[in-house]
Amino acid sequence: MFEEKVKEFEPIFYPRSIAVVGASTKLKVGSVWVWALISGGFPGPIYPVGSGGGKIGDLEIFPRLRDIPGEIDYVIVAIPRRSVLELLDDCAAKNVKAVQFFTAGFSETGTSHGYKLEKQMLEKARRAGIRIIGPNCIGTYCPEHGIPSLLGRIGKSGTVGFLSQSGGIATKLIEVGIARHINYSKGVSFGNGIDLDASDFLQYLAADTKTRAIGAYLEGTKDGTRLFNTMKGVTRAKPLVVWKGGRTEVGARAALSHTGSLASSAAVWSAMLKQAGAIEVSGLEELTDTLLILQRLDRWPGMNAAVIGGLADGGGGISVSAGDAFAESGVNLPPLSAETEEGLSKLLGEVGSILRNPVDVSQAQPRGVATLFRAIELVAADAAIDIVLIQEDVEILLPIYSPTGLEEINRFVIELAGRQDKPVMVILPPGSAEQERLQLEQRFLAASIPVFASPERAAKAISNAGRYFCRDGA
Amino acid sequence: MIKSKTMLTETESKEFLKKAGIPVVETRLARSKREAIAISREMGFPVVLKVNSPDVVHKSDSGGVRLGLANATQVGKAYAEMLSSIRQAYPGARIHGLSVQPMAPPGVEVIIGMSKDAQFGPVLMFGLGGVLVEVLKDVSFRIVPVTERDAGDMIREIKGYPILEGYRGRDPVSVSALEELIVKVSRFVDDNPQIEELDLNPVFAYSDKAVAVDARIILEA
Repeated sequence: MFEEKVKEFEPIFYPRSIAVVGASTKLKVGSVWVWALISGGFPGPIYPVGSGGGKIGDLEIFPRLRDIPGEIDYVIVAIPRRSVLELLDDCAAKNVKAVQFFTAGFSETGTSHGYKLEKQMLEKARRAGIRIIGPNCIGTYCPEHGIPSLLGRIGKSGTVGFLSQSGGIATKLIEVGIARHINYSKGVSFGNGIDLDASDFLQYLAADTKTRAIGAYLEGTKDGTRLFNTMKGVTRAKPLVVWKGGRTEVGARAALSHTGSLASSAAVWSAMLKQAGAIEVSGLEELTDTLLILQRLDRWPGMNAAVIGGLADGGGGISVSAGDAFAESGVNLPPLSAETEEGLSKLLGEVGSILRNPVDVSQAQPRGVATLFRAIELVAADAAIDIVLIQEDVEILLPIYSPTGLEEINRFVIELAGRQDKPVMVILPPGSAEQERLQLEQRFLAASIPVFASPERAAKAISNAGRYFCRDGA
Repeated sequence: MIKSKTMLTETESKEFLKKAGIPVVETRLARSKREAIAISREMGFPVVLKVNSPDVVHKSDSGGVRLGLANATQVGKAYAEMLSSIRQAYPGARIHGLSVQPMAPPGVEVIIGMSKDAQFGPVLMFGLGGVLVEVLKDVSFRIVPVTERDAGDMIREIKGYPILEGYRGRDPVSVSALEELIVKVSRFVDDNPQIEELDLNPVFAYSDKAVAVDARIILEA
């Protein structure tokens, strides 16, 4: 589906050369962009363009775009808006394929001048066969091709594609991605989207073979019907997670029917997303939690989870509350099989409810880590279980097991995750040992084990991912 | 931008719906007391009288609806009383007369409606009728065109769904009849883009069918 988009978007995400207009020897946004591309390791020629002349690093600053000797695929623009039309003429003369405008002050200001200028830009671009990204955006991000964020930050290349109407949210997605090992195939912030908008980028990401799951931050759309139809197509190919901003906006309505007075914009967006098969989330946390799970999944294992808690003392209440969190999110915590229960009972010398699910393994602690590992293995091997979650409360485990003991446990968890098909995930709630907890989180994430700060967040993310895979006819 | 709108009367709305194959309770316009009594006799008692006016938005709040009228005397008396109370509540309203319809046997009340969204166009709504829609706003939406599967999702999505499944020994209502009705409404509004808003409120859902008891169509003027 949408295969024609792959070739069409090649110069946007994989340009052979990039010019940055608005560069100078002084610290300006254009210069920042040039430095970002250099530090990101962009593999093709980078051409700074600016009237002041001089050099950025080893790169000569060309006075005008037309002065550049080589071919230019992609142009990043950070100049005042009064010069954008003239610049588009230069781009046409140089046979540029696509232009990204950081420049702002257009329709987002609500002025007629802003709208008019956008219309003129679009007319010029269409005549010259140039695609526009923006204006009022920070544009593309493609780690595989050495295109970093504006801050010069670049994470590992991965399987998640994102699109965002907001540059700030796009930057945050990249940063959270770097911190939580959510690795992007590519992403884009498209601002006002006067030419390429959400539907275009969704179609491209659906066709892009590097992208396995898509995340989106959207505030509105100029063509709702096209967006709806596009999303319906996209979700047939890949999971799509959408965070809709501006849900509490109240539109002015003059309705004469019950239906008219009840059909708020938020209710209609939610219905549209559901109908299109997308997963709606309510914020950055839930969006990134869900993408963290989706990025590694080829197929959905199933909705039956086991939660193992109480690795040291004090597992009772924690297990009970984890059980509530999963039940409320609609994730099934089925009873373990009779054989598993029997095995656990032999190992831990306990019977009864603590060996159900969530499983409280605190009785393993006085018997040593080998018993703990055997208990975890028994639960993980249970045929009724599709997903294994282990909760570690670092500040409780540290004094009981000592750093060496905890290290041994974590090596075991990583090794267990590596040797079995079922996904293993870890719940690491914040407490008083934040430094150790954050280090541990990084280790698990680096080993491809999703980590969540609470059972509630883990449950919600699993439930979100499951809703996509378990819908009828999927 | 606020478009100017025209509200069709109940009888006009139902006529329009009936032609599209949407089941409605048969309703006829009476322009006089005598006509009201004659139509009632033809339909069989008990009947319902409702004021028929393009200007009366809240007809039941202003004495414009009378249910369960059991004989000719009651119909005649109600006719005169309703006209006078409606003229008090809505001075200057155009009143075409009163509509007469047979009293529908009790069913589960639901609402099916359409309004236009600025970004996504026509949107259908489904919910339980009466106080549940007004106070609890227990409704679901889908963008037109609505498929049978979408319609099924809309019905099951509302919190009050167990009421449709039958509770305390009541018969479950036919979900497939409701699905069919929703899909027909979707097709109807898709074929008639001049419709700005639509309420089928209430629809009575039964174990074997679903029928619109009252209807309101608002056209782009």
